[in-house]
Amino acid sequence: MKLEDIARELGLTELTSKVTGSSQADIERGYASDLLSDVLAHAPEGGVLVTLQVHLNVIAVASHAELAAVIFAGGRRPDDEVCTKASAEGVSLFVSPADTFDVVGRLYAMGVKGNHA
Amino acid sequence: MEHLAYDIQSGDFGGAGAASRDLKQHLKRIGAESGAVRRAMIAAYEAEMNVVIHTEGGRLEATVSDGQLDVDVVDRGPGIPDVPQAMREGFSTASSEARALGFGAGMGLPNIERNSDRLRVTSAIGDGTRVSFSITLRPEAADQGARPSSLGIAAELCRDCRHCLAACPTAAIRVREAQPSVLHHLCVDCTCCIAACDPGALTLLDAPDGLAAADGVLAVPPALLAGFGDHAVDTVLEELRGLGFAAVVSVHPYEDELRRGVLDLAATSALPAPVISPVCPAVVSLIEVKFPSLVSHLAPLASPWEALQRDLGERDVTYVVSCPSQRTALLAQQPTAQRRTVTPRLVREAVLPRLAARRRAAPGTPAPQPQAAGASEGDLLVVTGVTHVLAVLEQIEDGRLTDVASVEPFICDDGCFGSPLLGEDAYVAAWRWAAAAGAAPGEGRSYERARPYRPRPGIRLDPDMAVAIRKLAALDAETKALPGRDCGVCGAPTCAALAEDIVMGRAVRALCPYVTPEEGSAS
Repeated sequence: MKLEDIARELGLTELTSKVTGSSQADIERGYASDLLSDVLAHAPEGGVLVTLQVHLNVIAVASHAELAAVIFAGGRRPDDEVCTKASAEGVSLFVSPADTFDVVGRLYAMGVKGNHA
Repeated sequence: MEHLAYDIQSGDFGGAGAASRDLKQHLKRIGAESGAVRRAMIAAYEAEMNVVIHTEGGRLEATVSDGQLDVDVVDRGPGIPDVPQAMREGFSTASSEARALGFGAGMGLPNIERNSDRLRVTSAIGDGTRVSFSITLRPEAADQGARPSSLGIAAELCRDCRHCLAACPTAAIRVREAQPSVLHHLCVDCTCCIAACDPGALTLLDAPDGLAAADGVLAVPPALLAGFGDHAVDTVLEELRGLGFAAVVSVHPYEDELRRGVLDLAATSALPAPVISPVCPAVVSLIEVKFPSLVSHLAPLASPWEALQRDLGERDVTYVVSCPSQRTALLAQQPTAQRRTVTPRLVREAVLPRLAARRRAAPGTPAPQPQAAGASEGDLLVVTGVTHVLAVLEQIEDGRLTDVASVEPFICDDGCFGSPLLGEDAYVAAWRWAAAAGAAPGEGRSYERARPYRPRPGIRLDPDMAVAIRKLAALDAETKALPGRDCGVCGAPTCAALAEDIVMGRAVRALCPYVTPEEGSAS
């Protein structure tokens, strides 16, 4: 499932624009958590993270865990500084007005699975 | 031994992660295996966050030595009253501020433990805590040692023009005192320097005893068959047999089979996309040396020549190869083939007089008109020429070529037809070959490769990671001392290549014409 297809299907707003080639990235796995240590420990490499956390450390964690994209649920928007950092680290950021449960449900229906599916 | 140290500020949630990120860069440059790098990062990041969240600040020190990373994180803090309790998942004493940011879930120390090979936590109440962990670093898997090269050097022909320096895609050539030499650990056996060498000082090694026309099989590339002016392919085949060979087989059916095999794998296997065809052994070597992360994209199939070699088994075969990489690939499977691997030139010189005599006897045989080429395969991207191959491999490595299912890369312009070792222009030969399709029928097959493709440690500075780290620092300093003009006067293609030569003991700084004598003697 291409990231750009996910963004279109879920009606996501992209917050980063200069992440080269990311729209073509193939997303097969995802993770949802607001605990960053939990993300570090369990998020699948190359996957997408759905979270409520919008601060700078999310980018550090996403980059460390080598995630392709982060979707902020519940319409929460990070500061510009966070978006700039994400672009530099090659992590795409999106925001969705839907809450975490709905975002994950729709991702799952599109074929993006968790670690053990 | 490399020692790194980073100060960590209390409460600096924004700056946290800088130390672990820098550590990651270092581990990558010394060639540590990527799984270990990821584990080291996670463990270091958790340790960093612990200092930020719980303490008055501290310091992370990392030592990389003999296959091991040791990290020591010492903080000024309240200390941990009950270490075993802190090691339990879910136990946390974090502030509400830290929790609001998604930390303090009681997973930090357990995460470090899970990602390290040894963890030791010591703490003194009111004084601070020391978290020490170690991770074993194995080098990223790579074949060791130099491999044979099929590039021949006739130093007496060298005119010192140095065109080869810039032509080489891996900066493997040096020209010093009008003597070209090749760094075998970097050479990928392509044809770039051969094409650039007008006087012919760089060429393909020939069989030591020439073309011994035994009663065996002659295996040829299609470009050879189509490379004799307007002599038709079936005529050429006849005259080749006339040299005394029992049979002449062309490798092209094996190229077709390999293409089918690659497309099949691209459609059905779990290989990362795009799947790269191993059709050109020079590109395979280029990937092994310069793009180790793309080795997993290579279809695990034998090259057309290797598959043909396998089918011919124990028969007495003379191989006419169109480039050094094909010869090296054949020799890797069967070292005795050395005596029977010949250049196209040798065969051309033997056959041309026969074709000329035939033309005199029966003049005016028209060559057939070409038919339309076969239907193009939509899922296959064919890339030829070193510039384009490098550009496309870069794209794949950066994850920017995701809409292509499979790639068939050739190092020579226009594929094997464009090898500078063949006598005919690539376009003319390809046109003529298309016209004669069917004149050299044959069956091909594709095989799984017995030995998997493996990265080569060509760009790694030393097999010992600790030594590599030292050399990396010296290389940085040496590169800064050189002017960056890449003029080639020193005999290396670039200033960076000279810097590496100096660090590796292959050259001295005084070779650079822009370095003053005092600076030069400092090296």
